[in-house]
Amino acid sequence: MAKITINGTEVEAEAGRRLVEVIKEQGIRITNLCYIDGLEPYAGCRTCLVDIEGGRPTSIQLSCTAQVAEGMVVRTDTPEVKRARQGVMSLIMANHPDRCLTCHRRVHCQPGEICLRDDVVTHRCLTCSKNYRCELQTSTEMIDMGEYEEPWVGEVRSYYETPPPEPDRANPYLEFDPQMCIICTRCVRACADIRHTGAITLSGKGSSTAIAFGTGGPVHESNCDFCGACIDVCPTATLMEKPNKWVGLAEEWTNSTCNSCSVGCTISYGVANDRPVIVRPDRLNQFSRDQICVRGRFHYDAVAENQRLSRSLARRGERLLPVPADEALAEAARLLDGVRREHGGGAIAVLGSPLATNEEAYLLARIARDVLQTPHIDFSHGSIHRAVQGAIHDALGVDRLPSDLTSVETAETIVVLASDLEESHNVAALRIKDAVVKRGARLVVVSPRWGELVPFAAAWLQPSPGFEAAAVQALVRAIASDASQLGEPVVPRGVTASSLESAVEVVRAAAASDKGFAVVYAPNPVDAAAAGDQARACANLAIAARGQAAASSLHYLPTDANVLGISDMGVGPAANGMAFSQIIEAARDGRIKALLIHDDNPLLNGAGSDDIRAALEAAQLVVIDSVRSTTAELAEVVLAELPFFAKDGTITNADRRINRQRPAGVPRREERDGVALLTALANELGGNFAYADAAAVTAEAASKVAGYLPYEQVRSGRSRAVGAEATTQPRLQAIGAPAAPEGDGLRLVVARSLYTTWEGASMRSEEADKMHREEVATLNPRDAEAAGVRSGDAVVLTDGTHEVSVSVRLDDGVAPGTVYVPHYYDGGAVMSLLPLEGTAAASVTVAVRALQLA
Amino acid sequence: MPLETEATAEIRALVADLRPDDADMLEALHRVQHRYGYVSQEAMYVIADQLRVTPAHVYGVTTYYSDFRTTPPPEVTVAWCGGPACRLKNGAGIRDAMQAVLGIELGEDTADGRVGLVAGQCNGSCEQAPQVWVGERVVGRLTAARAVTLARALRDGADPASV
Repeated sequence: MAKITINGTEVEAEAGRRLVEVIKEQGIRITNLCYIDGLEPYAGCRTCLVDIEGGRPTSIQLSCTAQVAEGMVVRTDTPEVKRARQGVMSLIMANHPDRCLTCHRRVHCQPGEICLRDDVVTHRCLTCSKNYRCELQTSTEMIDMGEYEEPWVGEVRSYYETPPPEPDRANPYLEFDPQMCIICTRCVRACADIRHTGAITLSGKGSSTAIAFGTGGPVHESNCDFCGACIDVCPTATLMEKPNKWVGLAEEWTNSTCNSCSVGCTISYGVANDRPVIVRPDRLNQFSRDQICVRGRFHYDAVAENQRLSRSLARRGERLLPVPADEALAEAARLLDGVRREHGGGAIAVLGSPLATNEEAYLLARIARDVLQTPHIDFSHGSIHRAVQGAIHDALGVDRLPSDLTSVETAETIVVLASDLEESHNVAALRIKDAVVKRGARLVVVSPRWGELVPFAAAWLQPSPGFEAAAVQALVRAIASDASQLGEPVVPRGVTASSLESAVEVVRAAAASDKGFAVVYAPNPVDAAAAGDQARACANLAIAARGQAAASSLHYLPTDANVLGISDMGVGPAANGMAFSQIIEAARDGRIKALLIHDDNPLLNGAGSDDIRAALEAAQLVVIDSVRSTTAELAEVVLAELPFFAKDGTITNADRRINRQRPAGVPRREERDGVALLTALANELGGNFAYADAAAVTAEAASKVAGYLPYEQVRSGRSRAVGAEATTQPRLQAIGAPAAPEGDGLRLVVARSLYTTWEGASMRSEEADKMHREEVATLNPRDAEAAGVRSGDAVVLTDGTHEVSVSVRLDDGVAPGTVYVPHYYDGGAVMSLLPLEGTAAASVTVAVRALQLA
Repeated sequence: MPLETEATAEIRALVADLRPDDADMLEALHRVQHRYGYVSQEAMYVIADQLRVTPAHVYGVTTYYSDFRTTPPPEVTVAWCGGPACRLKNGAGIRDAMQAVLGIELGEDTADGRVGLVAGQCNGSCEQAPQVWVGERVVGRLTAARAVTLARALRDGADPASV
C-alpha cells in the first residue's frame, strides 16, 4: 500500500493502481468518458486530467494512465485542471448535439411541447433518448463549461455542418445511432476485452473515424450476440436498448435474478410506470458479476404486455372465457376436489416448473403431498435431472455438488461437455473464455456442433450425436490408473484421431498438475439415458484427474433456471410416484384424471408431442401461468399469474447460490403471484395454508429443507445451499454403448438456442424469436447436396408420421449425417419427432425433403 | 461456423501461409486486393479466420488505409497526383476538369462503374508533371484541355491503353 494525498486528504491505495479508480472510490467526482474500470486505460477522451505534483513535462496529467505511487500529491480541483478539462470537453462537444445543456428552457420543457425557438427537432434535448441518464451530459455539467469560449456551443460546429450518419434500427435489441458517438471506443474494448466477441471496431481514420459493427454492415449481420455490454459502457445515446428506449429512464431499481438459464445472473430491473423498462447486470452473483446475455437483458420484454394473461379463464363449451379470479379459483378447486373424492388423490398429477421460485415449488410440493395426497409430482425435464443427479451420486457419493463456478475462472484446464454452452449458458461460456484469454487456461470442448467456444479451445472433439459420453470416456481412459471399472471401450464415432490426441495431451497435463481443473457439463434436456451416461463420464474425468477432490471439479449446469431449487423443494415423484412420462401415459390411458400444472408447458418441453397432447386432451387440466401457453389452451381452468419479473422469492442456480427474485413493478390488474395463487388454491381445497407472503414460505422451507435460509439471511449470489460431505469414496462408473438410431436418415439434434425464451416460445408468439437467427434447421452442405436443398430453402423434416416445416441453413459446424433444430423453434414443434421420454431410444433420424408448394 | 464455398476456399489458399500475427494483416490485404481489386466481405471473414482475429478487426484495418477498397473497383482507375510539382503546374485545374467531365469527386466511381478517380501520392516522375495515372501508366504533361479529352474518352469507353 502507498500513501498518497488527494485534494489534501491522505489516502492509502495499492501502489500501481490506476489513479482514476482511487479518486472515484474516494467519492470525488471526476469525469472519465473513455475509462472502463478494470481494463487497460485508453487515454482517448482526456477528461480525467488532474494535477500531480512534480509531473513531467507538466503537472497536468491523465489520472487514468497515472499509477498510484508512494507520496503522490494529487489535486483534482485547481483552476488549471478545470481550464484544461474545459478545453478537452469543448473539443468533444464540437461534434455532439448540445441542446440538452445549452437551451435556456431545458428545465421547463415538458415532453410533447413544441419548441418555437429551436424548430430543428432532432437537435432538441427532449428528443434525445438518453436525456437525464447520459454520462456525457453529466460530465459536461460536472466540468461546468461556464463562460468557456467557442466552439463548444453554437451552430458553427462540425456536428451541425455535416449530415448525420444513418442510425441502425434493423434488429430488435440494439439501436445504434452513430450521430451521437464521441468515439470513446469503450464499446470496442468492452466487446473485445470483456466479452471476447470483438464485433465492434473503429473504421476509417482522422475526422472520418466511426464505430462500425462486423465488416461495416448492419449490427445483426455481424457476430454481435446482443449481450449489451456495449450499452452498459456507452456514455451517450449511441448504443441503446431498442425495447423501451424512450421510456427507459428508471424511477427506481430492483435487485433480482434472471431466470433464463441456471447460471442465475443477478440483474437489476429499472422500473418506470409500474413495469420493468430496462435491465442492468447486478454484481451480486460472484460468477456473472457485471455481465449478462441477451436473454437476461431483454427477455422480460419477450412477451408483449398485452399478450400476457391478465384475467383468469374457464372453459365454457369449446372456448376459454375470462372469468373473475375468485370464480376461476373456486372452479379449479371444485374440479380437483371432484376427482379427489371420486378417484382418490392418486388420480391427480402435479407438474411444476424450473422457471418457478423455490417458494412456489415448496407450496406446489406441499399441495401434492398434504392436500391432494398424490405422489405423482414432477416437471417436464425431471427425469433428465434425476439421471444426472443419480450418476453424480453413484460416482461421487454426494447429492449436492460442492463445486463453485468461480473456480472455473481460475482453472488451468477446463473440459466442457455441452451441445453449445455459448448458447445455452452464455455467461458461463464467457467466464471460460476469460480463463483462456486472460489466464492461458487450456480448454477441451466436447460437442457434436461447432459453437463460439470452439475457437478458444486447444482441442475440439466432435463426436457423432450419442457418442458424447464415449468421447469423454476416451479421455478418462487415457489418464485413469485403473480402467477396468470403465466398462467395454466404445469408439467415439466422429472423433478424429488428431483431435483426440490433442485433447488427451491436455488432460494428461492436467492430471499431472495440481492446478485448477474443471469439468463443465450442461446436459441437453432431451434424452435422460444419454444425460446419465454423459454425467457418469464427466464424473469419471473429474475422479481420474482429481481423485478425492473430484466433486469440487465437476460443475453441473442444468438447462433451466431453478432445476436444482425445485428439486430440493420436493418437485419430483414421491415414493411410488410416477415420473413425467409415466404421468403422461397414465393420463392418456385415463388413470390420471386431472393435472395441476404450474408454469410448465409439456407441449413445449417434453419429447413426444403427440402422446403429450393426447394425454392433456384426455385429462382435465388446471393451469397456472402468466401466458396463454399451448398447454393452457387445453385447460379447463387457467389461473392468471404475475409474470416472473413481478415475483418475490428465491431461486437456486447451478452452483447452488440462493438468489433473490424481487418484484419489479406492481400488478395493475387482478392477477396474483404464484405464492398467493397456490396458497389460495390449497385453502379452497381445505389445506389450511397460512402463508401471508413468499417470506413466510421461505421461512418454513428453510426449517424443512437442508441448506436453505430465511429471507433475512439470504445474501443473493453468496449464500449457497450445498449439502453434506460425500459419504463414500469416488468410484469410476462404466458406461454402455449408445443405442444406434433406426432408419437411414439424418440424426436429429435438438438443443437450447440463445435468443428464444421459454415464455415466448410457450405461446408460439411471433415475438418469440425476435432475431430470426434461429428459425432454421442447420444442415451440413454434404447432406444438403444429397437432399437437393440449398441454403434458405424451405424443407420438411419427417420421421414418416410427423412433419416439421422449417427453412434450412447450411453450416460446416454441423457434422455430416446430422440435422440441428433449435428446441424452441415454432413452439417446440421439433419435439413431435422425438419419442416420449423412456418409451423408446431418443436417438431418431429424419428425412429431409424440399417443401412442395401446392 | 462460416460456410466454406469455392470463393472462400480460393481466398483461403491465397493467404494460407500467413500466420496469426498482426504483422501479416497488411500482407493478406495486399494479396487479396491485388488479386480481386478489392477486399470483399468474404475475404475479411477468411483473413480473420486465418489470422485469428475478428472480422471487425480486419474491417477496421481495411478502412484505415485509403489504398484498400471494400467495393469492386471500376474498370479503369485514374489516380490524380497531388504532389507539389504537379500542383505548381496547375494540378488542381487538371483535377477540376476531370471531376467536371466525369461528374464525380476524388474517391468516387462513375455510376456505370467504368471510371474511378482517386488521389495518388507523388511517385517521383515529376519531370512529367502535371500528371495522372491511368491504371499503372503515367499520362503526363497534361493541360486542362487534354485532361478534358482524356476524361471524355475514358467516360465514353475508350481502351485505357490507347488514351
